Amino acid sequence: MTMVQAPESILATVLATGLARAGDALGALSGHEVTIANPSVAACSPAEVIDSAGGPDAVVVGVYVGITGSLTGHALLLLPPEGARRLAGILLEGMRDPDAAQGGPDDGFELDPLEMSALQEVGNVTISACLNELGRFFPIPVHPTIPQAIVELAGAILDAVLLDLVAESDLLLAARTTFTINGDHVDGTILILPDRRSLTALAVAIAAVGL
Amino acid sequence: MTVTAAGPLLVAGIGELVTSADPHVTLVAYGLGSCIGLAAWDPRTKAAALAHFMLPTGQAGGPPVKFVESGFEAFLAGFAAAGGSIRRAQLKAAGGAAMLSVMVGSLDIGRRNAEAIALQVGRRGLQLSASDLGGSSGRTVQLSVADGRLHVKSVARSTVI
Repeated sequence: MTMVQAPESILATVLATGLARAGDALGALSGHEVTIANPSVAACSPAEVIDSAGGPDAVVVGVYVGITGSLTGHALLLLPPEGARRLAGILLEGMRDPDAAQGGPDDGFELDPLEMSALQEVGNVTISACLNELGRFFPIPVHPTIPQAIVELAGAILDAVLLDLVAESDLLLAARTTFTINGDHVDGTILILPDRRSLTALAVAIAAVGL
Repeated sequence: MTVTAAGPLLVAGIGELVTSADPHVTLVAYGLGSCIGLAAWDPRTKAAALAHFMLPTGQAGGPPVKFVESGFEAFLAGFAAAGGSIRRAQLKAAGGAAMLSVMVGSLDIGRRNAEAIALQVGRRGLQLSASDLGGSSGRTVQLSVADGRLHVKSVARSTVI
């Protein structure tokens, strides 16, 4: 079945506005200068999405947020563990008990609960900002669910969220970007994965606005 | 996480089936979350097959073993074509995890995939000789064509079944 798609360049512009707002919010939260680069947006196969996150066997930090309201589907922020740890470290600067043990075992994978909480908030703010922008095209808002952060194999995280989507379509919408905090770059992948009905609704709504 | 094998790797992507009777080959399915890796190995002919099943049921079409219900016959046919006898075979399964607790209530695809495998296996009078199913961790599996051992690796542990 043919999937009606919103123009990717328009979606890139919409998401860029959301990410700029997310950067401002994270900056206000952390007291640091945070920018999130304009994303590249593309319709991809599940395999391409997984490869963009480092391959199915790569261990990544994933923050999952469900999408409800006018659009339904899933959203994910994927970060490499080392970059995620640096990102969390910067955001948590000055918030830790200096005498408390920090971080999990130094295997590059484990993150302590405070780091996971910080990254969960990064995912929440970033994805919610994108959903807010997408929601402007609809009379009823687009809502995020409570975020969940996990450290897992990229393929395993993605197949959990892709399965109900690829049952009906083999194309997904992915945005890739880079977080920069005080000049320190951390690559991340943001996946906004509306279901097929929502992709069609989005394309129709964008066309109606005349963008 | 790195998969190491002495010989060439044949990778079963999502919804794909790989087979071999070459003892130097290792069959791999990376990053199984709620997906299931189903392995068959014939101890006499050393033929092996590994399927990366995605969903319990769905409209047939697309990758050959995307759905357990419609793809199980393709799995059996592929194994037979590689020289394996399913009656002699060791059948092993891994995967079927519930990765995200916030999604379990709505989908629970991992559990449904495991049940679909059990149904197809049982319907043909077959049995799983070993399994590592469920839980909340992703897995990478590698099937050694030489000896039928199935290595199951997750972020936290590594085991052989």
